[in-house]
Amino acid sequence: MILVGILITFLGFLLAVLSLGMTVSIGGRMIMVLIGLTVSLIGIIGVLNRAFLKNAIWRR
Amino acid sequence: MKRYALLLILVALAGPLVLAQAPSTAAAPAKPAVAITDADLKNIDTPKPDVRAKGDPDGGLTGTVSDVAVSDAKKGLSIGDLANQVGQNKIAVNFVWTLITGFLVMFMQAGFAIVETGLCRAKNANHTMMMNFMVYGAGMLAYWLIGFSIQMGGVGAVANLGGTPPLSAEHTFNLFGKPFGIFGEHGLFLTQAGTYDVGVMVLFLFQMVFMDTALTIVTGSAAERWKYAAFLVSSFVMGAFTYPLFANWAWGGGWLANLGANFGLGKGYCDFAGSGVVHAVGGLTALALSMIIGPRIGKYTRKGVPNAIIGHDIVLVLTGCFILAFGWFGFNPGSTLGASGNGNLRIGSIAVNTMLAGMAGGFGSMFYMWMRYGKPDASMSGNGLLAGLVAITAPSGFVNSVGAVIIGLVAGVLVCLSVEFIDRKMKVDDPVGAISVHGTNGLWGVISVGLFADGKSNYGGSWNGVNGSVTGLFYGDASQLVAQLIGVVTLIGFVFTFSFVVNLIIDAVVGQRVSAKAELEGLDLPEMGQLGYPEFELKARPVGVQ
Repeated sequence: MILVGILITFLGFLLAVLSLGMTVSIGGRMIMVLIGLTVSLIGIIGVLNRAFLKNAIWRR
Repeated sequence: MKRYALLLILVALAGPLVLAQAPSTAAAPAKPAVAITDADLKNIDTPKPDVRAKGDPDGGLTGTVSDVAVSDAKKGLSIGDLANQVGQNKIAVNFVWTLITGFLVMFMQAGFAIVETGLCRAKNANHTMMMNFMVYGAGMLAYWLIGFSIQMGGVGAVANLGGTPPLSAEHTFNLFGKPFGIFGEHGLFLTQAGTYDVGVMVLFLFQMVFMDTALTIVTGSAAERWKYAAFLVSSFVMGAFTYPLFANWAWGGGWLANLGANFGLGKGYCDFAGSGVVHAVGGLTALALSMIIGPRIGKYTRKGVPNAIIGHDIVLVLTGCFILAFGWFGFNPGSTLGASGNGNLRIGSIAVNTMLAGMAGGFGSMFYMWMRYGKPDASMSGNGLLAGLVAITAPSGFVNSVGAVIIGLVAGVLVCLSVEFIDRKMKVDDPVGAISVHGTNGLWGVISVGLFADGKSNYGGSWNGVNGSVTGLFYGDASQLVAQLIGVVTLIGFVFTFSFVVNLIIDAVVGQRVSAKAELEGLDLPEMGQLGYPEFELKARPVGVQ
């Protein structure tokens, strides 16, 4: 799960960079960047953090 | 005849009246320009030696034409000598400004040290202080070896510091038909490729203390459980690679700075003094490490309910906040890298924005805590001040005072909400609130440039190679906000991931966390071999009790 989380977080960054080449419209780039931001946050909060919480010290 | 006489009188009376209402626009005949020659310079009066020997109590005799350096003693003073002196004085003013503001930023390390130590328990005081003390050296060494080269090796001419021509090699690759700057190549050991240069030295000192600020953020979030050896390795890697890489993209002529020139996005990614480069990089690295290292023993119950673990000295905390607020006057106004020329007189506005946003942040936090929990929490008020300062760091050079107060106020509330979210929802233990203060509000600061930049700043007529002033969404340029958001996603998607992987590797090789026995005993003896407060008997207090 940690590897998946890392990949999803990084994917958000790639989406933001790709927005530069895929469109010249400000609105289009804004939407792609916001999607990238959401994906990265899901990677950190939804996947990586959950993976660590499963084995958290306070659960033992 | 009478009519003509009356008309003449009227005209004579009205003439001056008309002139008074509408002054003639015809220019007065220009006086011929007087050329100043070298001979004129020799006729300038200088204080006689006998007069000068009597002292100069009012300062009127000190600093005259006789103090101008003469290049050829036989020819005497020339116009060329005067022009060179003027140029050197400008650069000297900028050198002194940049160095002194850099010294102020260096002193912020003391503020961070006592804020973090005060927010930790007494049994970890020595360990927390030592991390804050040695992060300065570990980061500096890494930055001198390679970090500065990666960050600034291709920045090109820094006009305020006399040009810095040796820093001219940026490694790039082409993407979407445009050059993407990735890292600099000149400046290893401050000697390679002609970088043994006075301007480069000034730039190094200023950038080094910024880098160290980012590093010291992490020591707060991982305090009370971070193995000292792992701290040293992690800090070294961050000073050598993590920080310089993003700093190159934003400040060193890298791809983020050129989003305006290459892709028409405003003036490119704009981060005046480092809400993103310094604080978000530090805050997101702190988040990555805190997730890996896990919470302190006793921070959460078996059901995952957070306990408050109270710091041991609120006096240290608030004193440290004041030291940091003082140091921030170096952080933001100093980021002009000069006080003379190129619109640098805006330092006054930048300093005022800094103090306003800081206090607005303090108020925002204090009132939020007061309304939500019934008391104006001292440590969160301090964190609110820091949050306001963090948030105004990126926009300080581009916004007016109203924008600064709004940015600070939002930051003050945001830091409280973020602390609650990270503590209760994410269950990530951050003893000092560093992730919220620096990470969350660093990102907010970056975004706020894209909203509040008022288009009135003018630093030599352009920013990041794009003509005009930085202008945000509220003042008519939506594309600047897109550039800022790309910076935000880069911080979250790239910098966080990079830091996370680096610290996972360090965890596997060195081990990030101390043993449970050492943690319960306090890290001062097991890790440092000496107690922070040896003459006090430390008694454990049940966690969650205030």
